[in-house]
Amino acid sequence: MFSQLVMLGSSGMLLTALIVLWRKHVPAYISAYRLQVWLLAGVTATVGYFTSDWRLFAVAFVLVVLKAIAIPALLRTMLRRFGAQPEVRPYVNTETSLLVAGLLVLFAYVLARPWMAVTDLPTRDALPIAMGLLFVSLFVIVSRRKAITQVIGFLMLENAIALLAAVGTYGVPLLVELGVFLDALMGFLVMQIFVYQIHETFDTIDVEQLTRLRH
Amino acid sequence: MSRAIAILFQTLLAAGLAPLVGGFIRWVKARLNGRRGAPPWQPYYEIQKLLGKEAVVSRTASWIFRATPFVVFSTSLVVASFVPLVAAPAGRFIAGDLFAAVYLLLLGTFFLALAGLDTGSPFGGMGASREMTVVALTEPTVALSIVALALNAGSTSFSQIVSRTLAEPAAALGPGHLLAFAALFIVTLAETGRLPVDNPATHLELTMIHEAMVLEYSGPYLALVEWGASLKLFVFLALAVNLFMPWGIAVSLAPIPLAIGLVTFVVKIGVLATAIAVLETRVAKLRLFRVPELLSASFVLALLAVLSTFLTR
Repeated sequence: MFSQLVMLGSSGMLLTALIVLWRKHVPAYISAYRLQVWLLAGVTATVGYFTSDWRLFAVAFVLVVLKAIAIPALLRTMLRRFGAQPEVRPYVNTETSLLVAGLLVLFAYVLARPWMAVTDLPTRDALPIAMGLLFVSLFVIVSRRKAITQVIGFLMLENAIALLAAVGTYGVPLLVELGVFLDALMGFLVMQIFVYQIHETFDTIDVEQLTRLRH
Repeated sequence: MSRAIAILFQTLLAAGLAPLVGGFIRWVKARLNGRRGAPPWQPYYEIQKLLGKEAVVSRTASWIFRATPFVVFSTSLVVASFVPLVAAPAGRFIAGDLFAAVYLLLLGTFFLALAGLDTGSPFGGMGASREMTVVALTEPTVALSIVALALNAGSTSFSQIVSRTLAEPAAALGPGHLLAFAALFIVTLAETGRLPVDNPATHLELTMIHEAMVLEYSGPYLALVEWGASLKLFVFLALAVNLFMPWGIAVSLAPIPLAIGLVTFVVKIGVLATAIAVLETRVAKLRLFRVPELLSASFVLALLAVLSTFLTR
């Protein structure tokens, strides 16, 4: 039951990352991200419940407050300020992106084989999925043109690392976890300021503009 | 002997119920749109009326055009005779497994596309080329989701898959099972011409796929084509409910399990048909050039289903 639930949650997280590759509208990305955080909190709480570790419940709680409520709200403010233009022409088109994502997950499975051979954790089936999520989030960052989509890719990358920590080692010490949360929040705020600056200077959040000199 | 009767009964049941499913979806959609709608049994009247009419066939049409309605209807009927509907007794029920079912249905689609080209009408050719595009893109997904199911059960036979899921309900919660279901559901919508891919309710020339291919048919031929199409939808829905949620299906041919199996089957099909109707009310038809995106998404789902069952064992 334990491994089934963890597996279900992690696969759900992977699917929310695929939504970002599939859909073209930024509000859909934000709700996909929020859903992913809820799933991550669910997986963390499940691991906490089955290993009877109360600290993981605290982590899940902080996750929900910070990443499922605060960060989506900030993302929405950002969106209101720029208006919601869809991601029209990503660097890699949708069909290819989805296929590449499939291949990346396959690669993650191949890569995780030796690791899975040496552990006998009940959550080991979710390890390759967490690594696949890591690669897919990285792919979101490099293949999308809008700064806001790239920020969401970064946030998903962060989720993937948290998932890997939860299923691979049953969570890291609470102090480290809190430090990571603070880091993520700071990183997000810095990126938000960057996006605002890009928007101020170039009147768009298309990062393509940054490769050219301003005239 | 009892097996032969069971197969005969099941085939008749499928042929009899199939138009009702299509009519039921149309009725639920109409209610959701706030219209009164035709009653769910309307397709029976339509088939009866069409069977009594004269068939008009173009002078340029060859034998393929006349043979196609029979091929479409009979392949669907054969598939309906061996997929698990009400009962899935252990052992070989009849020759035919998941591969046979999917590719027999594909044979019908192939002939329909040929018939669309046969008369030389521009709409027929357009519909056939679109249908082939969609089918070519759904095939990899179909094959992969079959592999995902078969890997779980260790066999492509229906009764094996059903009994494996019945024996291990926890496996049905696993990602392999759910992802394969999602992939097969998208494929069902694409292959039976339902909404995000094709709109079954209109004859708008710019968007139609299935309707464009059968535009030249009339009278009894059209009745057979329509009946075959609704049988195909019925078979796909039956596969979806019985392979992924087999609870309630009869595993022996005794009367009481059969009665329970019949009731649960009708309820499950009703629930899935309602889900399709709700979905069709909520989504708009995709532009033709965005259909590959949907289908590649379903392909990735099927690929992940295979990965999670195959590489973690």
